[in-house]
Amino acid sequence: MLWLKDVWVVDPSQKLASAQSVLVKEGKILAISSSLTDEEVQFKVQGEAIETIDGQGKLLFPGLIDVHTHLREPGQEDKEDILSGSRAAVRGGFTTILAMANTQPVIDKRALAEFVRLQGERAGYAHVLPIGTVTKGMQGEELVEMADMKEGGVVAFSDDGKNIQNAEVMRLALEYVKLTGLPIISHCEDNYLAGDGLMRRGRASGRMGLKGIPASAESVIVARDLILTEETGGKLHLAHISTAESVELIRRAKARGVNVTAEVNPHHLIFCDEDIHLTDTALKVNPPLASQEDRAALIEGLQDGTIDMIATDHAPHTQAEKARPFAEAPFGIASLETALSAVYQYLVLTGKLSWERVIEAWSYSPAERFGLKGGTLKPGTPADMVLFDPGYKEVIEPSNLVSKARNTPFLGKTLQGFPVMVWVEGRLVQRNRMLL
Amino acid sequence: MKLQRKDVLGLEEMDVEEIRQILQTAKVMKGILMRPIKKLPTLKGKSVVNLFYEASTRTRTSFEMAAKVLGADTTSIAVAQSSVSKGESLYDTAKTIQAMRADLVILRHSSSGSASFLADILDAGVINAGDGQHEHPTQALLDIFTMEEKLGDLEGKNVVIVGDVLHSRVARSNVWGLRKLGVNVTLVGPPTLAPAEMGGLGVKLTHDLDSVLPGADVVMALRLQLERQKSGLFPSLREYSHLYGLTSERLKKTGKQSVVMHPGPMNRGVEISDEVADSAQALIERQVTNGVAIRMALIYLLIGGSANVVA
Repeated sequence: MLWLKDVWVVDPSQKLASAQSVLVKEGKILAISSSLTDEEVQFKVQGEAIETIDGQGKLLFPGLIDVHTHLREPGQEDKEDILSGSRAAVRGGFTTILAMANTQPVIDKRALAEFVRLQGERAGYAHVLPIGTVTKGMQGEELVEMADMKEGGVVAFSDDGKNIQNAEVMRLALEYVKLTGLPIISHCEDNYLAGDGLMRRGRASGRMGLKGIPASAESVIVARDLILTEETGGKLHLAHISTAESVELIRRAKARGVNVTAEVNPHHLIFCDEDIHLTDTALKVNPPLASQEDRAALIEGLQDGTIDMIATDHAPHTQAEKARPFAEAPFGIASLETALSAVYQYLVLTGKLSWERVIEAWSYSPAERFGLKGGTLKPGTPADMVLFDPGYKEVIEPSNLVSKARNTPFLGKTLQGFPVMVWVEGRLVQRNRMLL
Repeated sequence: MKLQRKDVLGLEEMDVEEIRQILQTAKVMKGILMRPIKKLPTLKGKSVVNLFYEASTRTRTSFEMAAKVLGADTTSIAVAQSSVSKGESLYDTAKTIQAMRADLVILRHSSSGSASFLADILDAGVINAGDGQHEHPTQALLDIFTMEEKLGDLEGKNVVIVGDVLHSRVARSNVWGLRKLGVNVTLVGPPTLAPAEMGGLGVKLTHDLDSVLPGADVVMALRLQLERQKSGLFPSLREYSHLYGLTSERLKKTGKQSVVMHPGPMNRGVEISDEVADSAQALIERQVTNGVAIRMALIYLLIGGSANVVA
């Protein structure tokens, strides 16, 4: 039995943002109340031992759910594996993570999906849920056995890392996926427009002589997929939205009732193309960091609900891969361990996002959209919880990162506000920033 | 006086005093270069490594000559650049060079930012001999040196740079350098090769060459990479040449005896006509001579020590 006293609870599923006491028993939330007395607690626990935690000055919210991570297992365990990735997750405040399918081999069969799920269970930290590819071999041609893969535990289908360039294949996928009720996650990128570009096309790319990727490389595919979703009545989730045009297209589609949700990555909310330096490959990411105007539109879209979720797109790479000239380094930012803190520091503390909106977008909405457990602290639900200390400061250093990857733009910098206790189904997995 | 820097990576990061110091030193170096016996003991015992990941005869030879005139030992490493995954990484190559205790490394590489990348790793100095589409500072310095030789003080002068400015490190370095010297620079090319984002360099950008020629003191043609046509960036050499090729007829529109420059190698009949290339207006060979002087100056100013041999 666990009794969290006087903690500021943020739980959008119950419209809570206030001081509460929370009781946890046998892995589930037993009670949540602003006026629990000692007597009431004693009555509820019926003589069981109670561990009391004073939550004053801290926040408690449902464990974050990250619908977009690359855990690299099977096949690229030098970058990350499911154990290290799920450890990084709980260190960063995530109790459920969705594993993207672009591993080696790609997750295009039920057996492979079951492997990912099992590895997650063996690791025993965050819940790891597999995403299957949309097409066999991620070749963008033939659909996978979606119904069978759902039986194997996949919670969505995505060829993320690549776009399905053939619009007819995408249309068929949106039709066929209706059998499963699961969403297709689209990585929106036109291969011709993106070409071998390295950063968002704009004044910064022009100045540095780095090949540019126009904003249209994303937006034209967003438009295409919204039209196909409307036409088929399929279920679409848009990954890593980064342009103002995309936000506007989604806003209009939602107004028409199209079954679409969208996510934004923390780095697109925090950085922009002008922040990129020629030798800093930590900010080389796809979709590329956009303009200041795009960033403002993304924040606005997240505020008004056009963008439903925040997701990290945790993309670990080895140091050797990132220690290359800009053109030769791979795209991606490893962010599970820093994302929440960065969003707190850059967006909550600055008044751009409320805590309620952050938790809704990073926990409640993902659970709703992908049909997952979690995302709430309602009595009777699994106690996936995060205790967050807004004053906790940490220098982001290789020695304290548990992910295998170091490719974060915050390396060597100090961030403030971190999860100091994390529970998965009532089991404490992280205390004072150390994994248990 | 040595330069107060370890590396020369680009003109964007250089201040105007440094540029003037380099140009001053290059004047002295050109004098030495013009001597019948051109050999100095200044850099005896210093080693200069030419690390070239892109084919380049003229730039590599120019650096080699510059180093040799000053008495340094030079080594050339030509790396056939295939795919990124094959062969030793630039990081490991840099570590190897570091271990061999070279004093100065000249790098030519197809990736923008590669020179800064190398400079961050090495204790030795690095001179950027062209990094991707980013900068080619020695080319711009020799261009500026040549313009000053011909025109005197450049402040207020009008320089038109025409061609594939989007992909041109020569254009970028020239813009930074010329702007710092108070020159009015105009970049010209078709919208696909001189797109709006080049406005990020803070100079005038236009697609109409003829409209900006009046009053131009210098017209610099850039080399057109012929394979860009296959990527759809321009429809034909014929149309490109018609719109942007430098002909004597077109150059009359400047209304003065303008100077014509080209970083070479030239596509005669495309960006520049034979007649113009071989005319008295064209300073293209002088650019090559001055290139050696500029590179001598830079090598001297980076690793020459305190001995004031050339004064």
